[in-house]
Amino acid sequence: MMGFYFSRLVEIYPFFLKGLWMTSKIAFISLVTCTLIGVILGIFRSGNNIILKRIVGVYVAFVRGTPFVVQIFIVFFILPDWGIQLDAFSAALLAMAIMGSGFICEIVAGGIDSISKGQWEAAASSGLTLTQQLRLVIMPQAMKVILPPLVGQYVLLIKDTSVISVIGVMELTRVGWVTVVRIPEGLMVFSLVGVLYFSISYPLILLSNYLERKMAVQ
Amino acid sequence: MLVDFNFRIIFEYLPLFLTGLRSTFFISLVSISLALVTGVIACACRISGIKILKYPAIAFIEIIRSTPLLVQIYFLYFGLPTLGLRVPEIQTGIIALMLNSGAYIAEIIRAGITSVDQGQLEAGTASGLNYIQRMRFIILPQALGVTVPPLLGQSIVLVKDSALLSLISVMELTRCGQTMTSERFMPAEAFFTVAFFYMCIYFCLKALADWSQRKLIFREAY
Amino acid sequence: MIQKKLVSIVLAIMVTVFLTGISFAGTLTEIVKRGELRVAVQSGAAPYAFVDKNGVHTGSMVDFTKGMADSMGVKIKILDFDWDGLIPALLSGKADILAADMTPTLKRALKISFADPWMYVQTCVFTKTGAGYQTLEDVNKPEVTVGVLLGSTGETIAKQYLPKAKIKSYKGGGRMIIQAMIAGHVDAGVNDDLAVLTALPDFPPNSIRLLDKRLGGKAPLSFAVLHESVNLWQWINLYFETIRANGAYDKNIAYWMEGIEWKKDH
Repeated sequence: MMGFYFSRLVEIYPFFLKGLWMTSKIAFISLVTCTLIGVILGIFRSGNNIILKRIVGVYVAFVRGTPFVVQIFIVFFILPDWGIQLDAFSAALLAMAIMGSGFICEIVAGGIDSISKGQWEAAASSGLTLTQQLRLVIMPQAMKVILPPLVGQYVLLIKDTSVISVIGVMELTRVGWVTVVRIPEGLMVFSLVGVLYFSISYPLILLSNYLERKMAVQ
Repeated sequence: MLVDFNFRIIFEYLPLFLTGLRSTFFISLVSISLALVTGVIACACRISGIKILKYPAIAFIEIIRSTPLLVQIYFLYFGLPTLGLRVPEIQTGIIALMLNSGAYIAEIIRAGITSVDQGQLEAGTASGLNYIQRMRFIILPQALGVTVPPLLGQSIVLVKDSALLSLISVMELTRCGQTMTSERFMPAEAFFTVAFFYMCIYFCLKALADWSQRKLIFREAY
Repeated sequence: MIQKKLVSIVLAIMVTVFLTGISFAGTLTEIVKRGELRVAVQSGAAPYAFVDKNGVHTGSMVDFTKGMADSMGVKIKILDFDWDGLIPALLSGKADILAADMTPTLKRALKISFADPWMYVQTCVFTKTGAGYQTLEDVNKPEVTVGVLLGSTGETIAKQYLPKAKIKSYKGGGRMIIQAMIAGHVDAGVNDDLAVLTALPDFPPNSIRLLDKRLGGKAPLSFAVLHESVNLWQWINLYFETIRANGAYDKNIAYWMEGIEWKKDH
């Protein structure tokens, strides 16, 4: 019986690779959009404009206070009521962008806040504009504080792509779920899924650990 | 859309949501407690010098951290029956949450323990304190200050993770939203209400975390 | 100024993200203009709609709607959902047609329009072979757990006919109930007899049996569209009339529902 299922699993292996490819696509695009939006929001969040800080704060509280699966349902089933109709793939990307940027915002804000006031003052007194201060003095230093948790957050985001399976996107977890109802060997199917996720997450975890050690030495 | 927001229907379903909320509380509480135990055990194995404990612990922690929780949940849900084990869905879910958070807690505790200055330990040994006394008076108080905030953070994460249990038909808060949607076709009312309840839990836990951070920072500054 | 610049960058990104995904649910003319027919089907529900070993969407529903797309001269896009996600998908404009083994109930018809039935089935109770349940009364007991599909008519019917039993709803598809039964989470299941019979070949032979007594009368299964898609609705009815007349309907049903030949190819 096990052998019979195993051979069916081997037959269906390309399907899993397709799922892995879909997961990688979503993950990659999401990482880029989350970082872009997250950095911008993080700058707002650590800035001097109280109103912006508060608005971003509310956004971040919502993103961090509700489960991702609930956010996905909201993006997918409720946004159309407001005129924004998205197919599953785009909805997935949007939900990831919203969620990821909320978390990255806090990491970036934390990094910028960790730079002592003295640096800001020194930069300002050197005659640099606000943009230049940020770009040339603050951000390079903040990066050291931001990079390790940022890479850690990337790993979390890659794993969160699995939740997207609930809206039918045929990514790796959904592939496993759809397969297991036809090949009822849960251990085999999801071990395979786990191994494939491991292959893309673990390298990033190693990178995160390495960065953490490198940055800590300083 | 908000004009049509049907509060009447939400009140009709309020008992259901409260049942789900209670269930989420129960699941989260049980899971985080079990996860703490798991985390302590896993951490102890991890930092021990005994290879037969250390390497499986490392494998356990790294596998959990590299694979999504949903995959772990499905692995147990679809996999345990093939081993002949009949575990009710809710317990399967709690086990998954326990193992998942346990691995993260193990790392949090490990970071807390290693954050205590070696010099302090040496001073303790030099003052004639034995292992247990060193733990009690030097390591644990300081480790606690470093560990408790991330532990509370992990609790918040766990409450949100419990939402995934709705996908293996465990009755909890998110499942209430799905039920209401499938009966009334009103996803907005259903999921905004669900989101609202989760936000309430989040703010309570966050307040607790902030309060504990303030209290513990005081303790460190002696 | 820097923040003003950043705000406009953020807005630009958001607008781009939205625009890449915006699509419009349409009537027949919209579909033809768009060049694509979007169909919502249930995930992993062989033989109705599933993904075969080559990773291609296939199944009875897929074949029917592919025929529709060909007749319209457009491409087809299959979107899959859990059972309870099908109607929200149609309502939120993600799909033009809902193609599944769905029964037109009065409650559902308040929100969406059903075409004429393409098939009739009956709701059945199924258990593990050898479990000893023979009649409805055997199952209608407080210690019996009955599995149903979240959002299905089986759920409503089970609550009606088996009020004393414990009802557990499963998200996903009918196969989740069978899985749960084999895993021992439920003692019996309630679903369309056709859905159960066509799922049996995927499980160990003779592990599941259906009780003789069927619940309720004959239940129709229909495709669905939005209320405003009136011409699409009429077109679907004409389509089924046409394929019944030219034999394509019989071929589809014979291949997918009555035989197990399809298992070899998919």
